[in-house]
Amino acid sequence: MSTRHRARRLGLYAGAVVLALVGAFPLFWMLSTSLKPSGEIFATPPGLIPTRPTLDNFWRLFTETSFLTYFRNSATVALTAVLLTLAVSSLGAYGLTRFSFRGRDQVAGLILTTYMFAPVMIIIPFYILVKQLGLVNTHLALVLSYTTFCLPFCLWLLRAFFQSIPLELEEAALVDGAGRGRAVWHVVLPLALPGLIATAIFTFILAYNDFLFSMVLITSEELKTLPVGVNDLFNATIVDWGMIMAAGVMITAPAVVFFAAVQRYLVQGWGAGGVKG
Amino acid sequence: MRKSALAGWLLLAPSLALLGGLVLFPILYNAWLSLFDKHAFLPVQSFVGLKHYVYFAHDEEFWNSFRHGLIYAAATLVLQLAVGIPAALLLNEGFRGRNLLRGVVLFPYVIPTIVAIILWKWLLNDSYGLVNHWLVAGRVTDAPVAWLGKDWIMTSLVITSVWQFFPFVVVTYLARLQTIAPELYEAATVDGAGAGRRFLHVTLPQTASVLFVIVLLRSIWMFTKFDTVWLMAGDGGVSRYIRTLPVYAYARSFTYLQAGMGAALAVIMFLILILATAAYFRVFRHEALS
Repeated sequence: MSTRHRARRLGLYAGAVVLALVGAFPLFWMLSTSLKPSGEIFATPPGLIPTRPTLDNFWRLFTETSFLTYFRNSATVALTAVLLTLAVSSLGAYGLTRFSFRGRDQVAGLILTTYMFAPVMIIIPFYILVKQLGLVNTHLALVLSYTTFCLPFCLWLLRAFFQSIPLELEEAALVDGAGRGRAVWHVVLPLALPGLIATAIFTFILAYNDFLFSMVLITSEELKTLPVGVNDLFNATIVDWGMIMAAGVMITAPAVVFFAAVQRYLVQGWGAGGVKG
Repeated sequence: MRKSALAGWLLLAPSLALLGGLVLFPILYNAWLSLFDKHAFLPVQSFVGLKHYVYFAHDEEFWNSFRHGLIYAAATLVLQLAVGIPAALLLNEGFRGRNLLRGVVLFPYVIPTIVAIILWKWLLNDSYGLVNHWLVAGRVTDAPVAWLGKDWIMTSLVITSVWQFFPFVVVTYLARLQTIAPELYEAATVDGAGAGRRFLHVTLPQTASVLFVIVLLRSIWMFTKFDTVWLMAGDGGVSRYIRTLPVYAYARSFTYLQAGMGAALAVIMFLILILATAAYFRVFRHEALS
């Protein structure tokens, strides 16, 4: 029994190591390349760890390209989309759970159906519409796109969270003389915090990751976001691998930090509805 | 009651305005647009009825894209399950560092697509890539493989996509695994079932409904995947060896500027998805209900 037990533990740890390598090694390799001087990047055999680490690639990225502009644009657009999505979907989910009206469940069902449409399937009419509204080449167009495409998921997620919060708690606050606004702010929203955080993460990831809307809706260099800007850098001339990997590290860092900071809240939200992509 | 209904609608109004204006209206407009010859940027259009649909029925490029889409969706789906399910089973066991590993596994899914693409293009680079270096050094191949050339580009795209999206399977499957009652396993063990039979007779039936959802969602999402496929090869060179329907629709609209044709392709994609989903629900009626 004990040898079987030990073989089992060995198998478990072997599997764990393989899985860790699959998940993290490519990212480690990106980081390693970004810190190498160009002589080492193209050396045979390639060294796993830079022998003479340098920040040269990052320096070139910041000074010779518009990377920092893309970075600022991405951050602005993604964070604005997060705030707008939180506001719109909390209002909507509250309306769906705290007020009864005819057609409520049908509306909820219809909202979920819109989740089935991949952006690429309506990008043409979407572009024409945005153009008619005079919003082509604005960050507002991106913010509205991301908010809209996050809404079905976020509304359903928050609806589930709001449903799980007992009405009595809110009523108790109302009886104690709080207005509805204060009852929501002090009782409902704190209890729905994991849901709000999951909503924020979901929206941030979608907005920060988006390539399609940004490519179609943004035309001027100074408004581009990271995915399109870095793809342009990549396609521009002979690929400067050290600099491109530095760009990869810089794009990844905020996503991982943001994610790690709130990851423990995520499992609940993820279980409640899945994440699109 | 009336006041409450009004308040409910008012709270929903911003959501409904955005979804109605920016999703539902474009869907309808798209269907209408597919009946016109329309320039993507200029306000020129003329009614052509079903001409575009008839055209695509005989368009070799359409059928190639359709075939690529099926291959891409099927291959990535199978491999995501093949990697994701064992990974989820592993992460459901108790061992030191499990929580850290659960976080690490999510990395590929959280990083933006552009990063996954440049990363794998570097790993698979024909002259300086680590993969080729290992293959040659380990004498698996005599010469470096042209991973991003026409013969291997689809394989490279599949590898990149599986790496990027298998964590979704892990997280979703793991969430269900954690809710299986331990008593079920204990009972099976008492009955003398080994690990393999416990998986077949307890785990698999218990997770059938979540697998149903995973397969449905991942198939739809892989079939309509745009950014990963597009970023892998753009729209020139070897891109025609991996061009799927979303990329073809994009190219029709924004490269050839034939918005009407692009819209028709979107409608066709939508119809394919509806039919496939309906068939899927019919075949797996049992799993869908549970």
